[in-house]
Amino acid sequence: MRGVGKIFHHEMKKIVKEKSLLFGFILLPVLTLFVTVGISMLQPKSTGENVETYSMFFYGLDITSYNIGSLDDKQIWIKKIDAAPADFVTSDEFHHSDVLVDLSNIEKVTIYYYGSNTISSYLKMSAEAFVRETFDMAFRGQSSGASFRSVELTDINEKDTTNRMIAMLLPYMLILPLTANIANFASDTIAGDKARGTFYQVMLSPVPPLSLIMGKIFSVSLISLVSSGVYIGIDVLGSKICEAANVKDVFGFAGVSVSVGEILLILLYAVLLCYLFSNLGVLISLFCKDANQAQTAQIPVTLVCTLASMMSMFRFGTSPSSHYLIPVYNICLIFQDLLNARAKMENMAMVAISLLVLAVGVLILTLASYKSEKVRT
Amino acid sequence: MITIEHLKKTFKKNKVEAVKDVSLEIRDGEIFALLGPNGAGKTTTMRMLSTLLLPTSGKIFFDGKELKPNDEQIRSRITFLTNEIRLDGQFTPDELADYYGGLYEMPNEKINSRKDELFDYFGISEFRNRRYDTFSTGMKQKTSLAICLLHDPDTIIFDEPTNGLDILTQQLIEAYLLKLKEQGKCIILSTHILDLVARMADRVGIIVDGKSVFCGTVAELPGSQGVETIDQAFIKLYKENHEEKAIVGRHGNG
Repeated sequence: MRGVGKIFHHEMKKIVKEKSLLFGFILLPVLTLFVTVGISMLQPKSTGENVETYSMFFYGLDITSYNIGSLDDKQIWIKKIDAAPADFVTSDEFHHSDVLVDLSNIEKVTIYYYGSNTISSYLKMSAEAFVRETFDMAFRGQSSGASFRSVELTDINEKDTTNRMIAMLLPYMLILPLTANIANFASDTIAGDKARGTFYQVMLSPVPPLSLIMGKIFSVSLISLVSSGVYIGIDVLGSKICEAANVKDVFGFAGVSVSVGEILLILLYAVLLCYLFSNLGVLISLFCKDANQAQTAQIPVTLVCTLASMMSMFRFGTSPSSHYLIPVYNICLIFQDLLNARAKMENMAMVAISLLVLAVGVLILTLASYKSEKVRT
Repeated sequence: MITIEHLKKTFKKNKVEAVKDVSLEIRDGEIFALLGPNGAGKTTTMRMLSTLLLPTSGKIFFDGKELKPNDEQIRSRITFLTNEIRLDGQFTPDELADYYGGLYEMPNEKINSRKDELFDYFGISEFRNRRYDTFSTGMKQKTSLAICLLHDPDTIIFDEPTNGLDILTQQLIEAYLLKLKEQGKCIILSTHILDLVARMADRVGIIVDGKSVFCGTVAELPGSQGVETIDQAFIKLYKENHEEKAIVGRHGNG
C-alpha cells in the first residue's frame, strides 16, 4: 500500500483548503443548532405522554380485556398478552404509564413498571396489592400457614425507554447525512479531479492503483464520518441545552444513556458503513466526467440507503436473522438493537461480516474499473 | 530507447480504431517530433506510451524491456505533459512539488534541490507560496512543467507543450528541452508547429489516420518525399495516405 498515506494526506488537505465544503458540512450544522434551539424555546413544553388509555398487562393469566376504572379522565384497562414479558416491555405497545404483571412463575410474580412515571407507579401499587391479595388467599386455601410473599418489582431501566426513541431515529439520523456527505466528497475526489484535469497526473505516478483508491476512500470516509459526527454531536448538545433550558427536546437525545462499549460498537459499525459508502461513491465517481454528474449518479444510492433506514424506524420487536444480511438495513437494525440493549452476538457478527464482504467486493470492482478505458480517457 | 511495434488501439465503447498500426523508434538523447493532423492518433499513441492506456495489440519496449500494464518501474522513469493535465488549484507550487515528489518516493533533500533548480529556471520561485489557481495560463504551464520534471525522468512526453504560451515562455521551454536533450534524455514532442520541429527535433514520426507513415531524421524527410520543405513533405504524406483510406472507404461502401 505504498503511497496511500501521501494520497490520504493530500486529499485531506484539499478538503480542508476547500472552504465551501467545510462550511457546508462542518460549520452549517453548528449554526443550525442555534436556530433549532431557538425554535424549540418557542414551543410549549411537553405535558406528558399522548396515550388514550392506561393499561395493566397480564402475562400467564387467561383473561379477557376489561375496564377497571378511570384516572385523569383516561380509562384503565386490564389486558392479556402472549408475547414474552421481556420483549413486550421494550416494544412500542408498552407505554410509560403502563404496568405488566408476569404470572408465568407463580412462586415469583414479576411486575414491570416505570418508576419515573407517576401513573405507572400508581398502577404498580394497585397491581402489587391485587397480586398479593389474590395469591395470599389462594395460598391460604391450599395449606395452613403458607403465604405468598414473592413479588419482584422491576423498575424498567430508564435507558430502555428513553433510548427507544433515539434507537428508532439514530439510523436515519446517521445514514442520511452520511450518504449525503459521501456523495459530495466522493464525487469531488475523482470525478471532480477528472474535470479539473488533476487526476491524470496522479495516474501517471508510480503509485499502485490500490493505494490511490484506498487513499481517496479513506479521506472520504474520514471527513464524512467527522461531518456526521458533528451532526450527531450537535443533536446531543442541542438536547442538553433543551434539558438545561427546560424546553421541549426536539433533538431526541435527552435522557439517553449509552455505555462506552455501546458507543464504541456503534462507532465501529459507522466506520464500516462509512467505508462501504465511500467505496461505492468512489466507484460511481470513477465513471463520471465531473462532480455534478457524479452527484446525480449517486442519488439512487442515497435514496435506497435513506429508505432502508426509514424502514427500520417502523419495525416492531425483533427481526428474523435473515434481515441482518440485508446491507444498510442490517446496520440500522444493529444500531437499534444496541440502543435497546437487545443486540445478539450472532447478529452483530453477521452484520460485520456481510458489510466487510460487500466492501471487499466493491473494492475489487473499483480496482477493475480503475483500469478500464472509460476511466482513463 | 523506446521501440514501438505495430501498436493498435481500438476503443471498446465506440469501436473507434484510434491507432491502427504505429511502429516507431525513439532514441535517447534526441528530440523526437510526432506529427499528424488532428485525430490522427498522436495523443492516443502518447497515452499508451505513458501507460495511461493499454494497447489493443502491438508492443512497446523501454530499453528492450516490454511495457506491462501498471509498470511502476517504467512509470517512475517517464513523464507526460498535455494541456489537459492540471494541478490542484488550492495548493502552492511548493506544496505540489512536495506531494508529487513524495509519490515518486524522492528523498526530501532531492525534492528541495530539484524544486530550487526548476523553480529558479522557470521563474516560479517568487510565487512558490502562492496558490496555483491564482496563476496566469503561462505560469500554470510552467508550474506543471516543473512538477512533471521534478523526478528527473529519462523519457519526457509532451503533447503540444508550448500551445497558447507567449513567445518568452515558449523560448524558455524550448531552451529547457534542449538542455534535457544534452543530458541524454529521450524527448517525444507532439506539435502542429512545423517550424518548431525544424528548429528543435532530430527525428520525426508522422502518423496519418492511425498509421505511422514516416519515421526518420528531420533532414531526410523532405528528400524522402521528393520535396524541399518539411511542410511540403508532411502535406504530401498526408494526402497520399488519407486519400488511400478515402478510396478504400468508397470501395467498401460499394
